[in-house]
Amino acid sequence: MNVVVLIPAHNEAATIGSIVGAVKRHLACEVVVVDDASTDRTAEIARSAGATVLSLSCNLGAWGATQAGIRYALKAGYKQVLTMDADGQHLPEAFPSLLVALASGEADVVIGACTQRGSHARQLAWIYFRKLTGLRIEDLTSGFRAYNEAAMAVLASPEATLLDYQDVGVLLLLRHARLRIKEVPVPMRERDHGSSRVFPSWLIVGKYMLQTSILCLAKVGMNGKRQRAYSDD
Amino acid sequence: MIDYQWTSTFIGVLIAGLILFLVRRDHLHGPYAVWWLFVAATVVVLGAFPELFDKVAPFFGVAYPPILAVVLGMGLLLLKVLTMDLERSRQERKLRRLVQRLAVLEASLEKVQPIQHAQGEGEEEVSSRRLE
Repeated sequence: MNVVVLIPAHNEAATIGSIVGAVKRHLACEVVVVDDASTDRTAEIARSAGATVLSLSCNLGAWGATQAGIRYALKAGYKQVLTMDADGQHLPEAFPSLLVALASGEADVVIGACTQRGSHARQLAWIYFRKLTGLRIEDLTSGFRAYNEAAMAVLASPEATLLDYQDVGVLLLLRHARLRIKEVPVPMRERDHGSSRVFPSWLIVGKYMLQTSILCLAKVGMNGKRQRAYSDD
Repeated sequence: MIDYQWTSTFIGVLIAGLILFLVRRDHLHGPYAVWWLFVAATVVVLGAFPELFDKVAPFFGVAYPPILAVVLGMGLLLLKVLTMDLERSRQERKLRRLVQRLAVLEASLEKVQPIQHAQGEGEEEVSSRRLE
């Protein structure tokens, strides 16, 4: 099976070991933990749990870490990647449903969606961004996704490097590349430790809402024909 | 009291001198020096011939000529700050991709040459499994 599981992790020493173990039990594939400049033992624990560890020398955020993993996967010749969070929200049991949807060829990106989770504020934010972008996706922020090779190539590009969050910006980029995105409902658990990286405090939520809104407004009407302005690296 | 023209010409020459000094001491990267020398040259020229503004200002409908100088100056400053942010974004992209690339290279290097991490048992087994 030509698939790799990517887990971006920042100070997730408490959960990373069991998550890597669980993934390995469910899927006989390489597990890559992208250690986003953690200050705890995340990398060490992931490594001893049998994961390949990519260590970022400075903090790039969840999306920067995911992109590093995708670039690794492309270089290693993988045709599909699965991404999941390191906090225990996502269940490896749901991998098959994502992979089946991807293998059927009906979508280039499959999002494991769980719309029941999250506060009213988060639900409101989703509705707002759906209206703003016209994206018909229920769970915009889910980090539980499967990408095929075409999607990996788009997401590994320099154009995706300055994105700060793995949600609206990434989805818009995929849409501009005319890739098909599909959602599959999956169960999710409450996080075991720590708090959400996207919604930790109101100030950060405000910054996120503003930044993402600007991104949405700036990308209005952009289709897939835009020329690539940068060369790789 | 010296003439106002001398003051502005002096300021222009001073700025130009400072720029050259900074380039000479390797504190200022070449392309930036070009912009600053252009600024210095403009200050020298306009300082020496302030009547240039008196001639140009009415053409743009500006009643009080020195205001044209202020507006132009502020506009150029805004432009400069914007290009600085563009450059910063470009560098940020480059930095992020370099950090990612370094991590990918380190991981592939580790596969070829398993590094002993200071955690004792189990590691060798893990490393050799990754080699397979």
